[in-house]
Amino acid sequence: MDILEYAIRGIPTGCVFALLAVGLVLTYKTSGVFNLAYGAQAFVSAACFFVLRKEWEWALVPAALVAIVVIGPALGLLLERTLFRYLRGSGAMAKLVTSLGLLIAIPEIVRLLIGQNAKQNPPPLWWVRRTDEWLWPEGGRFVLDAGQVATITSTVFVVIGLVVLFARTDLGLRMRAVVESARLSELHGVDSQRVSMASWALSSLLAGLAGVLVAPLFASLNPIDIFTLLIAALAATVVGGLTSIPLTFAGGIGLGVLQAVLAGTLPTDSVLASGLRPALPFVVLFLLLVFRPGLRAPEATDPMSSVDPPPPSPVSQTRPDWMAMGTRGFGVAVVVAGLWLSISVLDAFWLGLVTSGVVLGVIMLSITITTGLGGMLSLSPAAFAAIGAFATAQLVTATGMSVIIGMLLGAGVAAVVGGVLAVPIVRLGSVYLALATLAFALMFEAVLVPLGWVSGGSVPLRVPRPLLGGIDMADDRWFLLFAVICLTLCGIGVIRLREGTTGRYLQALHMSPAAAASIGISATRARVVAFAVAAGVAGFGGGLMASYLEQANYQASFGYLYGLVWVALVVAAGSRSVQAAVMAGLFFFLVPALLERLFEWPENVLESNPDLFEPLATILGWVSPTWAVPVAFILFGFSAITYARHPEGSIEAQTARAVNAIVRRVGHHDADPQHPDAPDTRKHGPVSSDADDGTFATGADNNPGSSESAHGDAVRHSSRSAAGTTSSTARGSASNGNDPEPVVADLSEPAGGAEPHVGPAPGSTPEGTQP
Amino acid sequence: MKFRTTIAAVAVALLAASCGNSEGGSADSNGGGNEADSGGDGQVVAVDAPGVTDDEIRVTGIAAVTNPLDADYASAADGVEAYFAMVNDAGGIHGRDLVLSDVRDDKVANNTAEAKGIVDSDDTFAVLPVATLLFTGADTLVEAGIPTYGWTINPEWEGTEENPKENLFGQAGSYLCLGCPQAYPPYIAERSGRTKVGILAYNVPQSSTCASGWQESIERWGGPAGSEVVFSDSSLAYGTTDLSVQVQKMAEAGVNLVMTCMDNNAVVTLAKEMKKQGLDAIQLLPNAYNQEFYEEFGDLFEGSYVIIGFAPLETPEDLRPEGLDLYEEWIESTGGKTTENSMVGWLNAAAFVEALELAGPDFDRQKVIDALNDQTAQSAQGMLPDVNWKGYGHWQRNPRSCAVYLEIVDGEMAPTETDEIFTCFDVTGDELVRVGT
Repeated sequence: MDILEYAIRGIPTGCVFALLAVGLVLTYKTSGVFNLAYGAQAFVSAACFFVLRKEWEWALVPAALVAIVVIGPALGLLLERTLFRYLRGSGAMAKLVTSLGLLIAIPEIVRLLIGQNAKQNPPPLWWVRRTDEWLWPEGGRFVLDAGQVATITSTVFVVIGLVVLFARTDLGLRMRAVVESARLSELHGVDSQRVSMASWALSSLLAGLAGVLVAPLFASLNPIDIFTLLIAALAATVVGGLTSIPLTFAGGIGLGVLQAVLAGTLPTDSVLASGLRPALPFVVLFLLLVFRPGLRAPEATDPMSSVDPPPPSPVSQTRPDWMAMGTRGFGVAVVVAGLWLSISVLDAFWLGLVTSGVVLGVIMLSITITTGLGGMLSLSPAAFAAIGAFATAQLVTATGMSVIIGMLLGAGVAAVVGGVLAVPIVRLGSVYLALATLAFALMFEAVLVPLGWVSGGSVPLRVPRPLLGGIDMADDRWFLLFAVICLTLCGIGVIRLREGTTGRYLQALHMSPAAAASIGISATRARVVAFAVAAGVAGFGGGLMASYLEQANYQASFGYLYGLVWVALVVAAGSRSVQAAVMAGLFFFLVPALLERLFEWPENVLESNPDLFEPLATILGWVSPTWAVPVAFILFGFSAITYARHPEGSIEAQTARAVNAIVRRVGHHDADPQHPDAPDTRKHGPVSSDADDGTFATGADNNPGSSESAHGDAVRHSSRSAAGTTSSTARGSASNGNDPEPVVADLSEPAGGAEPHVGPAPGSTPEGTQP
Repeated sequence: MKFRTTIAAVAVALLAASCGNSEGGSADSNGGGNEADSGGDGQVVAVDAPGVTDDEIRVTGIAAVTNPLDADYASAADGVEAYFAMVNDAGGIHGRDLVLSDVRDDKVANNTAEAKGIVDSDDTFAVLPVATLLFTGADTLVEAGIPTYGWTINPEWEGTEENPKENLFGQAGSYLCLGCPQAYPPYIAERSGRTKVGILAYNVPQSSTCASGWQESIERWGGPAGSEVVFSDSSLAYGTTDLSVQVQKMAEAGVNLVMTCMDNNAVVTLAKEMKKQGLDAIQLLPNAYNQEFYEEFGDLFEGSYVIIGFAPLETPEDLRPEGLDLYEEWIESTGGKTTENSMVGWLNAAAFVEALELAGPDFDRQKVIDALNDQTAQSAQGMLPDVNWKGYGHWQRNPRSCAVYLEIVDGEMAPTETDEIFTCFDVTGDELVRVGT
């Protein structure tokens, strides 16, 4: 009887999970995007409703209409028109990364607009000031408040409406068809763009509704609270296989009920209760992902998407040898000069930021391995860094061993955990793998971090600085040098891994899993190795970070939200580039501080010029140093969005642009491919794609607006200078090279009047990289 | 290739094996201090200390201002500014004005770099206020020996016998003692006549440690009043939005007093659920001295108790200490916010100024630190129960535990005692004995 009561009490919470999960599934089902930014979209409408209802004191109905029916869909349409329509043919990774960028950027934009102060008591979607001011039935054993009534009613209507939409209407059918293949749908006369817009408007409307409904669950309005609730609801989406609305609804209700039953039946002081209950949604999510066989199949993709080649190879693999030597020399010079400047010029604050950035660069390299080499979007780099940090701290504390040995052992512990985790998850598709790693990070946070034998409990564990051959790293300058050496060694390791057997296996798997399997490459083994190595690198970086800060402090250094921002930064900068990982680490720490200095400047001007021209003074007075963090996160988020246009990464794209420019200026020997100094046109293949030319638009670059793409310049040059079409260049290179390149027919939409034609695959492997 | 790898591995192993651990803390990249001007007018004694000139004593603060968690503790600086304005209005101290030259925003809660920057800049005499979510920069400031004053909400403020962290000064002592049994649970149980206690906490370490301390309090001192813990749950997920089952079980257990070591989100969720299920219980709120909060949710907490460690704004007229009147006067005249954080900033500034005065005109950092650590009754013009820095300030628990108890009445906080500001107990024995301030 008690169990039944507990179960009934879990239903309202289950409806909250269901509402959020159904919205996510709707977005995925109608746009093909697993929209991590769904929570951010919900926050936009919730914030709008808060301002209209509480601050501007609008009546309920107009405030709700504007926040949910106008702002919600408008935001969805904006995202569709500016971003997601260009991602329709892209892989899950591009869509996921873009939504991750939006998740980071959108809430900060809203907070800049509505103010960063706490917004207490978000109003309910009801004619009362607070949810508990209307109870039904009053005095009963099971009582619902206004918020719960609104949520339950809305959820039921939404589920019924969506089921009818997909089962009984043409629009629903078209929505699904466009997601499966926009091109095929268009051949059948479906206006895919209109349908896509309708999909985004509908799903965003639902996000807005969910935001307004869940906001009053919290004492104040905060995007992190909504996102946390959303990820708790992810298990329900997996129950529905990301496609079934009724199953998702059932999953949400089931999760709420299970949570309540466990809360009621497990002894509150048991280890099981303290471990399982806080992590229940993530445990369920993880177990579903691991043990539900259907999820191991690759996600459904556009059957015509095979015409879209993978992103180009790193420019480091494609530039001419003479340039590689030059840039390496230049790179070493820059590092040495930067190090010298940091040590001799920077004060302790900036030195600290640079050191933190260098150390974070080591952790970022783990993302390079999983995402860049392995093609797996892991959202748990911070968790593995924390494992390394805690292991280092515990080993050093318990045994008094050298902290360097502790770091290496900590890396080993992280690698083992990573390897064990990888075994069940590497076979999952991109979205499910990302969710599984996110679930792992959250389980780690909820179950293991609170344990004293893991994290030390309420007082962070101490970690000493190393003492190396008489050099005391307690001096920050020596520690920076030490960190740079560690980063360099890890970077070299990553490059060796990339160029070694495992790296080439991974590259082959990235391009064509089927082809790779046909020649005996074990995808599972290669990916498990990559995952374990990445976890080890992250663990080493975590130990290094703990040693630098002299404490293994989870909240300060390794929270899972940090991990999401790190992934966005690395992917945006270039997930296959060591240089990009290093830059991403530095950006994370330096950009907010630099922006703060920038935004302090107007304040200083006003202080030193009190009689400044009034309008100018007003404008300058408007700028605040408190913008630094929001603007930094907006930049980080937007940089991830550029992944859609530059899947190789913005730094990589800029490098490719520079390389091409230099090649154009210096390498006039293109016309003579036999010339010893001639840039290898075969190597240029990967950096010479351009959607505008209709040559080989990558999925992500299948964008009429991408004429600015870095490699676009190269292909135009290549087309002209090679005295023929791109296809002739491709054929020439293929026949000229040591390694035959795959030649694919590009049937992508001709843009700029170009006709579809045959071109080389941008992802063609460099010399000797064919497995 | 394999050979080279083996060689490299052996080299790394040998290198690592030859390594030790640094025993010292991290060192600043640049040393040196400011040479203070010698003065010359015969009234100002020359002081050779960072941040001190003939005219000014400059300090710097660290505060959580912008961060994804919306923690805004910037108003702590308002309290410092107000106190400094008051001192400067009276002619300054040792012939110098006090200046809060900068408040560094610790952004994403990691203030090590901020602390290192302050140490390295060598242009600040002391650090105040420190009002942050986490205090990762604590050790940097300890090693630098800079007098530091702030809001003690993190265990990093606490010292040990070996490392007392004698230069870190919380607003009312630095020893937080999260897991210690406290006087207020049994006192509130006795005072309110509500003896069936329920305890709720998150499964995060600070919260669950606090809950275990409260449970021990009731078990140790709750006997005479007949109070007992009849329900406890320290396994709640951070950010939980559903406490319906816990409330049902508390109702079944007859709980009429709920103690929580959780944030405002959770106490509001709990209060709403208790109202829904008709559970007639009050709450003990250790983290909720915030009138704005009660303007929104006050009716949910009718009869509940708020605990605070210093004289609150609601202190009865006849008991108001001088410091409280001064705070209200100067926070208004300087345009600062009236918040718990700004009151803490005020208390921090009061401790700093008191130490400066005691250190004398030829003060330096160590003298200022020693001066406060020599005090047995620092009270910030009566706003604090006498803080015994000499005996128990940093690493030992003060046997006398004092607090102010406020009750929520008609949506507002009202003091429970009318004859003295603070309610103090001796917490060393098996019985809870009330003692004087």
